[in-house]
Amino acid sequence: MLMLVLFHATVALVVPWALRHDRRVMTYVAALAPLATVLWAARQTGAVAEGRPIAERFDWAPDLGLVLQFRLDGPAWVLLLLVGGVGALVLAYSVWYFGQPPPLGIGVLVAFAGAMTGLVLADNLLVLYVFWELTTLCSYILIGGFSPEIKEHRRAANQALLMTTGFGLVMLAGFVVLGQAAGTYTISAILARPPQGVAVDVALVLILLGAFAKSAQVPLHSWLPAAMVAPTPVSAYLHAAAMVQAGVYLVARLTPAFAETGAWRPLVVVVGLVSLIVGGWQALWQDDLKRLLAYGTISQLGFLMVLCGAGTRTAALAGLALLLAHGLYKAPMFLVVGVLDHRFGTRRGSELYQTGRRIPFAALATALAVASMVGLPPFLGYVAKEAALEAFTHGGVDVAVLAGVVAGSVFTVAYGLRFLQAAFGGNTETPTVQGLKDDAVSVWQSAFRGADGARVRLPRVALWPIVLLAVAGFGAGLVPGLWQEMIAPYADRLPAVGKGYELSLWHGLGLPIALGALTWVLGAGLYFLSPRLRPVWAALSRLPTGRQGYHVVLKGLFKTARGLTRRTQVGSLPVYLAVIVLTVLLLPGTSLVMALNRGTVPSLETGRVQPWDHPVQLVIGVVVVSAAVMAAWVGRRLSAALLLGAVGYGVVGLFVVHGAPDLALTSLVVETLTLIILVFVLRRLPERFPPLRRTRAARVGSAVISVCLGAFVTTFLAVAVLSRQYAPVGPGYAREAAEEDAKNVVDALLVDLRALDTLGEISVLAAAAVGVAALVLTGMREERPRHRDVPEPAETPGGRWLTAPGHPPLGPPSVLLAVTARVLTPTILVFSVYLLFAGHNQPGGGFVGGLVAGTAFVLRYLAGGMRELSAALPVDASVLIGGGLAIALCTGAGGWLAGGNFLQSTVLEWTWPVFGHVKLPTGFFFDLGVYVLVLGLVLSLTRTLGSSLEKEPEKVSGGAS
Amino acid sequence: MNVLLPLPFVLPLAGAALMLPAWRSQTWLRLLGVGVTAGVVAVSVALAVEVAREGVITTQTGGWPAPLGITLVADRLTVLMLVVSSVVLLAILLYAVGQGVVGHSEARPSVYYPAYLMLSAGVCLSFLAGDLFNLFVGFEVMLASSYVLITLAPTPARMHAGTMYVVVSLTSSILFLTTIGLTYTATGTVNLADLSTRTEDLPAGTRTALALMFLVVFGIKGAVAPLHLWLPDSYPAAITKITAIFAALLTKTAVYAMIRTQTLLFPQHDVGTPLLVLAALTMVVGLLGALTQQDIHRILSFVLVGHIGFMVFGLALFSVAGLTGAILYLVHHIIVQATLFLTSDLMQDETGETSLERIGGLAGASAFTAVLFFVPAMSLSGVPPLSGFVAKLALLQAGFGSGRTLGYAVTSVAVLASLLTLVAMSRIWTMAFWRPRSQAPAPELPPEEKAGEEPGLSRQQRYSHRLVRTVTAGMVACGLAVAVLAGPLTSWSVQAAGDLLDRTAYQHAVLGEEAP
Repeated sequence: MLMLVLFHATVALVVPWALRHDRRVMTYVAALAPLATVLWAARQTGAVAEGRPIAERFDWAPDLGLVLQFRLDGPAWVLLLLVGGVGALVLAYSVWYFGQPPPLGIGVLVAFAGAMTGLVLADNLLVLYVFWELTTLCSYILIGGFSPEIKEHRRAANQALLMTTGFGLVMLAGFVVLGQAAGTYTISAILARPPQGVAVDVALVLILLGAFAKSAQVPLHSWLPAAMVAPTPVSAYLHAAAMVQAGVYLVARLTPAFAETGAWRPLVVVVGLVSLIVGGWQALWQDDLKRLLAYGTISQLGFLMVLCGAGTRTAALAGLALLLAHGLYKAPMFLVVGVLDHRFGTRRGSELYQTGRRIPFAALATALAVASMVGLPPFLGYVAKEAALEAFTHGGVDVAVLAGVVAGSVFTVAYGLRFLQAAFGGNTETPTVQGLKDDAVSVWQSAFRGADGARVRLPRVALWPIVLLAVAGFGAGLVPGLWQEMIAPYADRLPAVGKGYELSLWHGLGLPIALGALTWVLGAGLYFLSPRLRPVWAALSRLPTGRQGYHVVLKGLFKTARGLTRRTQVGSLPVYLAVIVLTVLLLPGTSLVMALNRGTVPSLETGRVQPWDHPVQLVIGVVVVSAAVMAAWVGRRLSAALLLGAVGYGVVGLFVVHGAPDLALTSLVVETLTLIILVFVLRRLPERFPPLRRTRAARVGSAVISVCLGAFVTTFLAVAVLSRQYAPVGPGYAREAAEEDAKNVVDALLVDLRALDTLGEISVLAAAAVGVAALVLTGMREERPRHRDVPEPAETPGGRWLTAPGHPPLGPPSVLLAVTARVLTPTILVFSVYLLFAGHNQPGGGFVGGLVAGTAFVLRYLAGGMRELSAALPVDASVLIGGGLAIALCTGAGGWLAGGNFLQSTVLEWTWPVFGHVKLPTGFFFDLGVYVLVLGLVLSLTRTLGSSLEKEPEKVSGGAS
Repeated sequence: MNVLLPLPFVLPLAGAALMLPAWRSQTWLRLLGVGVTAGVVAVSVALAVEVAREGVITTQTGGWPAPLGITLVADRLTVLMLVVSSVVLLAILLYAVGQGVVGHSEARPSVYYPAYLMLSAGVCLSFLAGDLFNLFVGFEVMLASSYVLITLAPTPARMHAGTMYVVVSLTSSILFLTTIGLTYTATGTVNLADLSTRTEDLPAGTRTALALMFLVVFGIKGAVAPLHLWLPDSYPAAITKITAIFAALLTKTAVYAMIRTQTLLFPQHDVGTPLLVLAALTMVVGLLGALTQQDIHRILSFVLVGHIGFMVFGLALFSVAGLTGAILYLVHHIIVQATLFLTSDLMQDETGETSLERIGGLAGASAFTAVLFFVPAMSLSGVPPLSGFVAKLALLQAGFGSGRTLGYAVTSVAVLASLLTLVAMSRIWTMAFWRPRSQAPAPELPPEEKAGEEPGLSRQQRYSHRLVRTVTAGMVACGLAVAVLAGPLTSWSVQAAGDLLDRTAYQHAVLGEEAP
């Protein structure tokens, strides 16, 4: 059975592409796929009739219950015949209908046939859902894809998609709940041992909702009439014979286990009856014949729902027989509308006149189909309807159901007549018996009394599918025993009344046959009376419809979405930050406060927390905090930058007090360089910040939440300190460092113990350098300027102290600066190298060394501008950055060479003639890499910022002064 | 394993280091970029094989034993993320290589390639980190490179978005650092395995507050509502192929970190309720937002936010089933979200438009692009039998199996969210593909079968046209492969989820067998 589905998939993908040059052949070949289904099903007839279902399984994702389980039993067999047979005929019909069938459309039709085959055969709820949604998807493409340029088509496609998928999702939820209650997703297993409970009741309602939407039951039906914009073959196949019957089929599948459970029977029967009557009533008034048929389908599907969900043996027999009958009579009716539409350019009843005379054979075939629909003997429709009426003749609540069924059938007869008259007959406002008779006679005469001048020749491929389907409905009615035999194993699982009903053409005179005759009479009466009822219809159409409901929901959804998004997505960074801080306060903050109240954290009142170790900390703390507050307050950018510097230096002070000279040193250099760079940047910006646009309330609000955040973090810190129960690993580092003979623990941490962090951080620096260069140099040449390219300025004071004096970035050239720069450069560089080497035992290390070295070149730049800088260090900054990173990585990889782990350090020892015995930990090379990279970073920043300043100094400084 | 484990981030870093000095040669940049990223894919697969064979594998960098040194750890979840991410990284890099010649790429290759590799390194390091501070470093490497990438080819809009992105990310980094400080203060260690043995003995209040701090920290980067507001205002502004990698990996890395920290450090799961509520909020806010947008990239960004909710939902359930769903969703979403952004870039290539108001008629113009959009869009909407369905099914099963009323409620929200995704996706489909292009002047839509034959295009341009499309098609195929291989993938995820909740394998691998 999987092969059958895969065969469809293959045909759907390959044939339209392989045979795209001859579209007719392509379509005929494509029709082989559904034909194969029919043939295969026919071969299995014997096995199914004997009650030996054929099963198959393939694992897909068994952990999720996704197992491709297939099973062929009676109901599946009936549906397969329908799906395959109608599919093949509709494809053949498409050759005529489209002329040049579009490959995409044909491919999707075949894919749909495959999905439908899978759906019918699926014996696993989840797999059934998979195929169910695939049919929805095919339906979406087939409704909208043929003429997507028409807005109505797109809307119809989307409506069908959203309605069926939306409720399909609801159904999936139901499947999951049901499957979990049953412990399996295998349908046959669930049916064998149905689970019970509230969850199951809820699940069944969810599943029914999905089935109702798919089968277009009122009030979820509005997508089906809208979907009639699709080409007729699509409507005939998907929206009459196959897809819309899936909901009914699902109900039929589950009824044996759940008919008595929860709301199943009342819900199915009520919804079905309402659809039966509302659909039939609406069908009576449609002018567009396809919409007429669509409402008729809704009505018939309602009937099927009632039968398949009622949960009695007779109803089930009737339901499945009617399922087949419905496919066989509804499909040709659609196809004939396609013929009318094609040949006469319209499918409106009011515009078609006496067409029966011109296509008599099609008209006769359609009359056969309608006869089956209204339940005339000996058609299959009669057999089914007879059984249906019989099923509800046992009194009790059934009386009401029976009344509903009869009423619905009356409508069926009425709109059946109306369809025939509108499609083929004369154009009269008031239907009369005489008119109908004349129409029938004229069709008859044209068909059998020789040529009539008005006759239109229909190609065989257009006519035959219609005739075949209609005749099949006739033929099937002649062999009720076959259907009885095939369906009985399924129906026997349901409770029977009396000796057990059998599908047959003659049960003797009784209530069913009388009621059947009654429906014909009343139906014909209704048809002739209908013009007088038109005002009633007009009045009723003012009631809210399902279609309006859909649009209201959709509109409401979009309106809510817009309102919500407009209020939240305001595009303001301060607001977003405030939301983040508020979330911190709301989640961890509240939880901490509650914990303090409940005493689930150590209490803060025990006095175990010391606010500070040393009074100096308090002083520095106050300085840092006030500088930070002022930085947020001041209006001048330069002041803000300086105040931020003060914050930084304050933190440096804290490091010193804590006894961390290394951190202090690094921090100090970083702060200094940051300040210099900020000053560069500030030259390009206006002196003052732009005036604040935020209201006073907003500013007070930000202040409050900032203070709260500070308070929260402080409290949390105190709580965290008191919560600690284990010795920290920190002292372990000192011990390891001491063993390594490294007196500087910080450096040992950075280059050895946690060298991986350092590696990451220098990558961050490298990225930052690349990013700044990319941003600043945008629109400029990618080449970094060399000193030769920059024109030499005229004599500058102090120029001879420099290698290649240019324009200094800040103010006029200064002799003092030039002298200082030139003299100090070597000294600073030597110092930086000292720091690099000293790092092992003294404060220092690669990072601070690189920064110090960078300062030397910044100084040269301050004295002599870009020209001087390029001359002082004629190396591309990116070479230094990349090289530094490469050195660090190579050191890391050296660990592997030494047989250890990444970044594992060893000590190299060797003896040099002059130096004597040298001991060098490989960590030194790592540090060297850091040194080079940091130097490169400083250089890169200075160069990029500097060159942007030199590029347009006038324009830039204009606003600043 | 000593050699293999660091390679996923060492290789890209080395590549970046070699690119920086040689930035003038485009060929070199491309070759190196593709070579290195392909290497990462190979290493990731090798690691996956190793993990499948041996369970959790670790290496102690620097040779220092845990908890002193930094441990790199790979378990089933790690290698799964590594494999999927590296494949996506490679695909998007190839796309960039292809687009470099034609298309609307005004970015500097000399910046793009090294920054991209560093981003890869950061992502991989974040996956492998067995140490809280190292996780932070991994995030920083990733974020620093993303700062570079988001402002590539700067325009005023891009700079504005970039500013927002950088400031919010820095805020999250500060909070992360604060959280690490608090964690160390309370426990005295930052090694994840070591931490996992110590958090149990923390006072309950401290533990819950810490867990919530981690939630907020990763919630910002992972765009969990209401911390997501920055994302739709910043991601779409970048160049599309960069947005693609951001959308695919950055948020997912944060979700990964969230899963890792919550399961490993806080197995008591004190934060289930807020997490469930946030998950539902994220789904609703994100997907409703998607309905209001006109720009395709913005729609996709909102959808991204909404779908983060699905993964958080899986985590919030804190069961094997829930985590399985979250992991499957991660895998699915990384691939599909990246694919959709690439396809939207193709759409932009063909029409010069990303706004639904002006775009149109693509179905007729380019059936190939239509397929490349339709399949991942439906997959994202959870339509079977595509990968999104499998992941969503796992989550629904976990949710309905949770036995908690709130769990049922959030599962129902998830069902609704799937439908909203479908609404958003069908809206793009209808407007961009089905609706005719109404705008005058006459649509200038080069159908791509013909694009290659136009005389104006050089051989190289034709080549890159083809490469760009092949890569996108390859990504679509990857998404389909996830669906086809759902069986093995699910059983792998189930085991990964089991490992996450069990923790002992992880602890033993890092700390040795004697660990508690």
